[in-house]
Formats: sequence, structure tokens, C-alpha cells
Amino acid sequence: MAFQMGEETRQVQATWDVTTYNYKVDGRGIKLLADGMKDKKILGIRCHNCGTVYVPGPPFCRKCYIPIDEIAEVKDSGEVVSFAVEMADVRGNPLDEVRVSGMIKLDGSDTFINGRIQVDDWHDVHIGMRVKAVWVPEPQGNLSDIDHFEPI
Amino acid sequence: MRNVGIIGVGYTPVFVSKRKDVNLAEMVSESVEAVFRNTGLSPDDIDAITFGNMQTFEGVNLPHLLMSEHIRAVDKPIIRIATGGTTGMSTLQAAYYYVASGIYDVVLAVSWEKQSEGDSQVGLAGIVMPEAMVMVQHGMDLLGGRGMGGMGGGSTGAAAYQAMSYLHHSGADPEHIDKMAALERSNAALNPYAHLRKKTTVEDVQATPFISWPLRYGHTCPTSDGATACIVASEEKAAKLADKVAWIIGVGCCTSDPSTANFIEGQMTDPADQTVCKIAAKKAYEMAGIEDPAKEIDLAELYDGFAHQSLMWLEKLGLCKEGEAHKLLDRGVLNIDGDLPTNPSGGVFSTNAIGSSAMNRATECALQIMRKIEGEHQVPKTVKKALAHGWGGLFQYVTVMILSDTPRKI
Repeated sequence: MAFQMGEETRQVQATWDVTTYNYKVDGRGIKLLADGMKDKKILGIRCHNCGTVYVPGPPFCRKCYIPIDEIAEVKDSGEVVSFAVEMADVRGNPLDEVRVSGMIKLDGSDTFINGRIQVDDWHDVHIGMRVKAVWVPEPQGNLSDIDHFEPI
Repeated sequence: MRNVGIIGVGYTPVFVSKRKDVNLAEMVSESVEAVFRNTGLSPDDIDAITFGNMQTFEGVNLPHLLMSEHIRAVDKPIIRIATGGTTGMSTLQAAYYYVASGIYDVVLAVSWEKQSEGDSQVGLAGIVMPEAMVMVQHGMDLLGGRGMGGMGGGSTGAAAYQAMSYLHHSGADPEHIDKMAALERSNAALNPYAHLRKKTTVEDVQATPFISWPLRYGHTCPTSDGATACIVASEEKAAKLADKVAWIIGVGCCTSDPSTANFIEGQMTDPADQTVCKIAAKKAYEMAGIEDPAKEIDLAELYDGFAHQSLMWLEKLGLCKEGEAHKLLDRGVLNIDGDLPTNPSGGVFSTNAIGSSAMNRATECALQIMRKIEGEHQVPKTVKKALAHGWGGLFQYVTVMILSDTPRKI
């Protein structure tokens, strides 16, 4: 008797939960930024060679490829480089209230950070718009010390 | 450096959201069997294999070795390539390097994805897991609800930043994204190997909800199951083995900084900047001897996970001036019967088995040049030179390939 193949390839389930990864990360730049936020300061690193200011700061200049460690304070105001208006969550469910998130270039920084922009009407948001940070009443020294940004 | 041409292409019979009837290896083997069937060649004709799919997406870590028999690789050299969304074209470029260098004469390039069996979100999260975790430790709200950092809206969130920036700098309207989406989906309706095959109007697109302004559901690509196999050969071998050849006359690729992904060290590059695309294209044009791409390129197959990208790439690739792509769209230039048919296949936007998506840009160009397109999306104009483009990585890696009906003068 001949071997009979199944009509359909079977489906089997496998859950990938076999280990925990232990990554080493260079957390100096992010710690510098978070710690400074307790005093409502935004701190990054400036390259002493080309002058580029990074927030958060990397351990080496990503343009000059040299170690950098000069602390630079930037403003908590800046310009909207681009933005998106989130109308659904990551699973595709519509949000009750739309949420504007922006790529914001803080004054004195050469890099962007992402942040929520609070406006009455999202249609008012535009690229090039000036915004400033709204801090929580009692900063704890972490990235949530800025609650959101609002138009200037 | 030797001339290299594409002498055959094989696809899985369909690209769909779920292939329940075959497993990973069986699905990939369908494309390999198809390319042998289409060319009349056999595994004995193949000197080496290049192989590509996304890392982590199916959770199978050495698929090229696991399915060595299914892809007819036994007793042959093989290399696996994974460069993100560009994987398929990088896999084909690796095959090109093998043959151009003279190491091998005939190489089989295989690329695939079976997204229904895996979890692409896990694959994407795995790109920046250490960085994301340390940011969360320092108080970042990963979903961007408050504070600094956070992506918000997954990959569509970052694509929405890109789309917004593109619209702002080009002068195009959100309606142009709707129009491009409708054009490409309608092209896909003509392509038997496309996934979403429905003739689509601008109104159909506009009836879909927004995910993240300015992007709607109707602007985003599907996730697909499918595979592509492609055989490349040296000029000498091609003359013996093939009746028609699409010559690879230029290749380029380029990376920038990690763009939107580098939230631990400051994001440096606007995702719509895409200087990388210009650099990759310049290299490919120089190799191909192309001085004025807008005049010399007859057809473009562009990697568009999101519908605004086709317009953006046309500009970055120099196929029109910056800020003009939407005007070409309005004038019908990008239509299948236009002067610069763009994504006559329907693009990645309509079919996205990711590992194969960038290879399919090149194989579609090759089939258009050979006039061997199956289905109704063969363009009416004669295609002498076509441009295939791949995009991906962390929004910042681009591949370009120029294909031609005649080999390079060496």
C-alpha cells in the first residue's frame, strides 16, 4: 500500500520564549539627559571638532568618528521638522482622541526628538511651527518629565 | 568586470496573505521549480546560490541551509543575505557580484517571505530592542502618549513623518497619495502575481480610514506569502542558455545613519531626506553610462511600502525634478501606457512578501524588457532601460539596479 500524503500541510504552533537577552548598552548620554531633566534642563553632547550637538549624546561623533564628551545644554523650545496625527493605535483601533506627535528639533540641537504636541485643532499643526516643552509639576529625572509640547 | 544578465524568473503561483497548503520550504521550492521550468535549465546548470529573507520574521534562523534540497543547493556554494526591505535586491546584487567578478558563471538568486507563519512586529522590534529597553528604563513612553521619545503608530508612524515631510517639501497634496495608490492597485489588478488585485478608484482609497495623517489604510502595503527565483549568467553563458536576456548594466546601494531609529543617540536625518537614494542611484547611473535618467529610463519599479513613496523616489532617483512627481502623476505620465510607467506590477504597495519585494522590482523590469510579462501589465512602449529600486533597513538603506535590453560596452 502506498504512503498517503495529507491533503494539507499541518500547522504547528511555536512560542519563542526560550531565553532572556542581556544587552550591554552605552547609557551615558541617555542618563545625562534624564538626570538633567530633574532640573528642567535638556543636556546633550557637543562634538568639539565639528560643533554638532546631539540629544541624547552619543559617546562618539557620528560625523567625525572621534570620542566626544563636552556637555551642551539646549533649549526646551524648538521647531517641528515633521509630524503625524495618530488616528488609530498600533493594532488599528481608532483612537477616541487623535494625537499629534512631532519630530522636534530643539533650539541649539542638531538632532530631533519625538514628542506629543498638544493643540486644540490638529489642522493648525504645520512643519516649521515653533513649540515649547510643558514640564510636569514635579520632575523626577526621567524622559516623562516633559509631558508634551505646545505651540509658542 | 564581466557583463551579467537575468536569463530567467520564477514566481510562486500566487502571492497571497496565507499559503496554508505549503510549508516554508515547499513554498520557496515552487519558485525555484518555476524558474527551471521557465528557462529549461536544471540544477546542473547552476554554479552557486544566493538566498535572502528577513531575519527573525519566521523565527527560522538558517533557512538557506534547512531548505538546501528544496532550492536545489546540495553540493553547491550558498550565501544568505539579509539587509531588511532591500534583501531581495541585495540577494540579486550578490549574484551579480559573483558572476561579474568571474568566480561563477550561472547563479540562482532566491528570495521569499511567508509572513503568515511569523510575526513581523517581533522582527521589527528586534532591530532596536536594547535601545528601546534602555529608553523605557529612563521613562520613555514607548507608544508616544507622553514625554520625549516614543515612536507612536509603529512603522506607519515613522512613515507618516516621512510622508508629511515629503508633502511639505514637494508641494504635493494628500490627494496625490490617494491617486498614486489607486493607480498602483489598478495596475496590480492586471498582474496575476500581485496580492491585492482590485481595480481601485481614488474614491475607494479615500473611503479607507486614516491610520496616521497623512497616511490611510489604503496607502499601506499588505503582508504577503510568496517567493521569487531568478537566474543570472555571464554574457558567454547567456548566449548559450537563453533566448532573451535583461542585462544588469548598473548597481548601487548606500546606507545613511540609522535615521528615525536612533532615538538613543539623537535622530539626525529627516526620513524624507533620502540622500542615500541619490548616492546609490548616482553609482548605478555611472556604471550604466546614463547621463540624463529622466530621458533615458523607460520604466521604473520602485519599493513603496506606502503610496507616497513612489512619488518621493521618482524625485530622489532623478527621474524628475524635486517637487514634480505629482505633476507627472496628474499628467498621466506614470500610467501603464504613459511615458514613464511606474510600478506597472502594482509595486510593493500591492504585494509584499518582504524578502522578495526588492527582487521583484528587478525581475519585473527584466520581464518587461524581455516582453515576457504574464498577465495584462506589459507596458505598450518598448523598454530599453528600466530602473529597479529597493528601500528599507531603518528607513535609510537603498539599492538601485539598472536593467537594459543591451549589455554594457566594456
